[in-house]
Amino acid sequence: MSTAVKTQAALISADARPASGAWAADARADAANRLAAMGLPTRRDEYWKWTRPDSLISASADSAVVLDYEGEEPLFNDVDRLKVVFVDGVFDADESDALEGEGLEIERLADAAAKDIHWAKDLYGVLEARGQSPVVRPLAVHNTAMATDGVVIRVTGAVSRPVSLIYRHEDAGSDAILHSVIRLEEGAKLTLLENGPAAARFSNVLEVDIAKGAEFHHVRAQGRDHERQAITHMFSQVDEEAVFKSFTMTVNGKLTRNECVIDIVGDNAVAHVAGAVLGDGAAGEFHHDDTVFVTHDAVACESRQVFKKVLKNGAKGVFQGKILVKPDAQKTDGYQKSQSLLLDDDASFQAKPELEIYADDVACSHGSTSGAIDEEALFYLRSRGVPTPIATDLLVLAFLADAIEEIEDEDIAAEVTERLDAWLARRRD
Amino acid sequence: MAGLDELNVKEGVEEETVEAVKSLAGTYKYGWETEIEMEYAPKGVNPDIVRLISEKNDEPEWMTEWRLEAFARWEKLDEPSWALLNYPEIDFQDQYYYARPKSMEEKPKSLDEVDPKLLATYEKLGIPLKEQMILAGVEGAEDMPAEGRKVAVDAVFDSVSVGTTFQAELKKAGVIFCSISEAIKEHPELVKKYLGSVVPVSDNYYATLNSAVFSDGSFVYIPPNTRCPMELSTYFRINAENTGQFERTLIIADKGSYVSYLEGCTAPQRDTAQLHAAVVEIIIEEDAEVKYSTVQNWFPGDEEGKGGIYNFVTKRADCRGDRSKVMWTQVETGSAVTWKYPSCILRGAESQGEFYSIAITNNYQQADTGTKMVHLGRDTKSRIVSKGISAGKAQNTYRGLVSMHPKAKNSRNYTQCDSLLIGDKCGAHTVPYIEVKNNSSRVEHEATTSKVDEEQMFYCRQRGMDEEEAVALIVNGFAKEVLQALPMEFAMEAQQLVAISLEGSVG
Amino acid sequence: MLKINNLHVKLEEEDKQILKGVDLEVPAGKVHAIMGPNGSGKSTLSYVLSGRDGYEVTAGDATLDGEELLDMEPEERAAAGLFLAFQYPVEIPGVGNMTFLRTAVNAQRKARGEEEMSAADFLKFIRAKAKDLKIDADMLKRPVNVGFSGGEKKRNEILQMAMLEPKMCILDETDSGLDVDAMKLVSEGVNALRDEGRAFLVITHYQRLLDHIKPDVVHIMAAGRIVKSGGPELALEVENNGYADILAEIDA
Repeated sequence: MSTAVKTQAALISADARPASGAWAADARADAANRLAAMGLPTRRDEYWKWTRPDSLISASADSAVVLDYEGEEPLFNDVDRLKVVFVDGVFDADESDALEGEGLEIERLADAAAKDIHWAKDLYGVLEARGQSPVVRPLAVHNTAMATDGVVIRVTGAVSRPVSLIYRHEDAGSDAILHSVIRLEEGAKLTLLENGPAAARFSNVLEVDIAKGAEFHHVRAQGRDHERQAITHMFSQVDEEAVFKSFTMTVNGKLTRNECVIDIVGDNAVAHVAGAVLGDGAAGEFHHDDTVFVTHDAVACESRQVFKKVLKNGAKGVFQGKILVKPDAQKTDGYQKSQSLLLDDDASFQAKPELEIYADDVACSHGSTSGAIDEEALFYLRSRGVPTPIATDLLVLAFLADAIEEIEDEDIAAEVTERLDAWLARRRD
Repeated sequence: MAGLDELNVKEGVEEETVEAVKSLAGTYKYGWETEIEMEYAPKGVNPDIVRLISEKNDEPEWMTEWRLEAFARWEKLDEPSWALLNYPEIDFQDQYYYARPKSMEEKPKSLDEVDPKLLATYEKLGIPLKEQMILAGVEGAEDMPAEGRKVAVDAVFDSVSVGTTFQAELKKAGVIFCSISEAIKEHPELVKKYLGSVVPVSDNYYATLNSAVFSDGSFVYIPPNTRCPMELSTYFRINAENTGQFERTLIIADKGSYVSYLEGCTAPQRDTAQLHAAVVEIIIEEDAEVKYSTVQNWFPGDEEGKGGIYNFVTKRADCRGDRSKVMWTQVETGSAVTWKYPSCILRGAESQGEFYSIAITNNYQQADTGTKMVHLGRDTKSRIVSKGISAGKAQNTYRGLVSMHPKAKNSRNYTQCDSLLIGDKCGAHTVPYIEVKNNSSRVEHEATTSKVDEEQMFYCRQRGMDEEEAVALIVNGFAKEVLQALPMEFAMEAQQLVAISLEGSVG
Repeated sequence: MLKINNLHVKLEEEDKQILKGVDLEVPAGKVHAIMGPNGSGKSTLSYVLSGRDGYEVTAGDATLDGEELLDMEPEERAAAGLFLAFQYPVEIPGVGNMTFLRTAVNAQRKARGEEEMSAADFLKFIRAKAKDLKIDADMLKRPVNVGFSGGEKKRNEILQMAMLEPKMCILDETDSGLDVDAMKLVSEGVNALRDEGRAFLVITHYQRLLDHIKPDVVHIMAAGRIVKSGGPELALEVENNGYADILAEIDA
């Protein structure tokens, strides 16, 4: 694979960047310049206080074993959906459905980028660039400069079935950089599913522009490969009365950092972002970082952050969440919840739930807790005859329920719950 | 002391406390002030100034060396910029580091020339006219009969005189309470052992500067199994007459001892920003307990944001012994800029740290304040209650760290931090850091931000209170948990301060 | 005492007229009751008279002893002698009931140019009043209305009324959420305050409160206006036949 972050100098050189048509070449050149100016993250950066960027910026990806799934079907298999498959970061036309659907235009990024004129020009790297302040996210900039593929989707009406991005990992040393752009026009509605580990190392950027009254639902499952590393960024702009809802399930992965940057720019909009994590360090390192930044820049909007992490055997969880309420964003209702359940003494959790508020007529709050399993609840279950391991898993699932409830589609929520239950059951045996 | 008569009607107040408060009234003497009244050093800081300060304090060689080493380190440090504070760059060479009064020309010649709002403030605090003049820097006020001053300070708060007045009684109990400069000479073994042991010389930019140039401060030693027979207090005031800028406080509570320490601050400077960088170190041995209460009312700058104190303070308590306990309570209403994080190192098993804070910012004030609870020992407990109130164009930030280390088994933290906004031009921010490295510990953090409830306002006004009274009442209610943690005499003062600080914030 | 003349009120934020020409006069020493179905504008009237935000007076006026009420700030109306016993008294965490009352009493005294009440006098005063209303010391110490039962809240409203000694008392659905015993207690508190110099406006949905607080005049309010006035017998009529009959009679 071509695109490791080698040195900053290599980035600036136009040769290193994927061949593109005029608009994409400009966007990539701009990103390369921005990256050169801001530099790569270092361990000393406040924003990387608890997650080491080293292995994400090393010259090549650490190899990651390709797991066989013991017959377990990939998630969402039963959902009627438009499948878009990437294998180690490369689009697989044979495995994918035809790129067409009712109410939407969909195209490979590689194809869109090769054109000289494309609607994606107004979004590609644009929401990403806007999300660089007040905190820089150099790895997203790097992605904009170097992404080899992805999809661009424009939703104009009611879409008959979800779009499903499926990432497969077949090469132990793959280093994939994907970038997708989604535009929901006024009143449009889309459900986006993502699943699977894309590569040994995976950088993914999603830019999602949600126009007035449109709804975007996102459910992501970051597979159970325990050696892969992933850095994902989602940049979303949410306009008047629009809805943004995103849920991510993560079970294992040596290193995962999911950054979510949401800009609420229209009145009465809603933005929810949630995550459920089951981390077991028994099979190797596990480090999971949710970094969320929600900006309220409109009146009477609602935002929710609900993040739950269950950690054991040295697994590490990080939450950096922020709600920024700008001066005129009155009647903001912002809530942040970050909780961890530490199942043993080696697990650790670090959190920085931040509020920065410049408007007065607001109700913003956050709650963060960390602790062991509730002994009283456990005892209660045991006294009713439930064996400790099963009782523990019941409590773990109950703990994660808040986050899973953020999934709009009940069938998908049920499937996610089932999958988490199965994960727990496997570790019980 | 204003409101003293009201004490009798408050239920649940120990008669003892009331008596203690009454006895404190009327005892203020400017013990250490006159001594240094005339001392001047040129602007700027360099090894010569450090030596000069050391020399003026008649310090032994080891202390001079200690200061010089701190200065050498300070020169290598950069001023931190991570706090949510925005102020003009401080030229550290453009400051006076030793007792430098404001030039006499700038002083108002009479009360007529003094900003009437400033006078009104002192009047509200119950400070009589003479003291108002002194606080306002009216020329010649200090030459007026001593009687005027004596009465005056009763109204605010008194400190050093407690040390003086009760010296005999304290001595009988074995308690040492004196200025740090005196302690360096009289008790070098204690100072050598403990100074810089909680806040190391190179801890942070401001603490390092303080280590080099601190002019004075307080020293307390409570011997084993001794309950300090009275509350000890220091009243800091920055004005032309004394050096409040760089105090150093060292408190040692030996095994099984107890002390409650009060610190009050006011500053009358009116137009230029002034730097204040204090360090407080507390060492708490086995089964000992220290309560440290602060009412900080440094001059906050005027309504335009001109002047005021830049307050950079490092306060830390080291709970070294098992079952040791510390409680920080602060009411921060003053200063143009506050940078302050009183912290607890919970090293001993079953040690406890508590932090109760009210920070009020109005007009152009900025506060970035909070605490660090570092849990090192097993079964340690901490509790944080922070109430931030922001009005006018002010910015108010809670910044805190709760850290559960791997060996801090079965430890607990509870954090509640609430922000209240008054008006739509101010900001309230919360920046908590939570680090948990063992699973038998439990950390709970809750934070809320809201504005003053309109229903509550209407209810109060329907009962006849004007908007300012209603806001003050509601804010005092909002901050109740913290006010309750204060010793009674401070609580009364603090409640009044809340009202004063929020003046002009509504309507 | 209280004179309301052709009062028209709409909601500030939406174009909804609530009061459509209310005329009412309550003389000193009298108890007037306003009854009416839900949504008739009874509570709005009490809020507008006491100066709550969110309403816009589009026509008419209201005076208290000749003073124009509607131009005053809420606290000025309170100082002028207007008291509203709220239907839903608000909770104020952290503020002790006693502190609250003392602040209120002294604020009003100050506004009227009277001496503030000393702590000792206040204490004596409140203890006596509280005893009449069976309000114990604990309730006085607790934060204003926080954790109070429905009955306790209403008793607390009456206690405040007794302490503040207003001229014109408006009771907004004071009977809501009260059981028979509590209603009796509250009514006794109100009756004890009945006085030649003091007037009451009792707003209620049901007649039962008026068994305890006997009104001189009963008004029926509907669709933002007073549609019928009469003696206490009017309340009984409502009790027996409901509002429908009266409203139908007026429509006819």
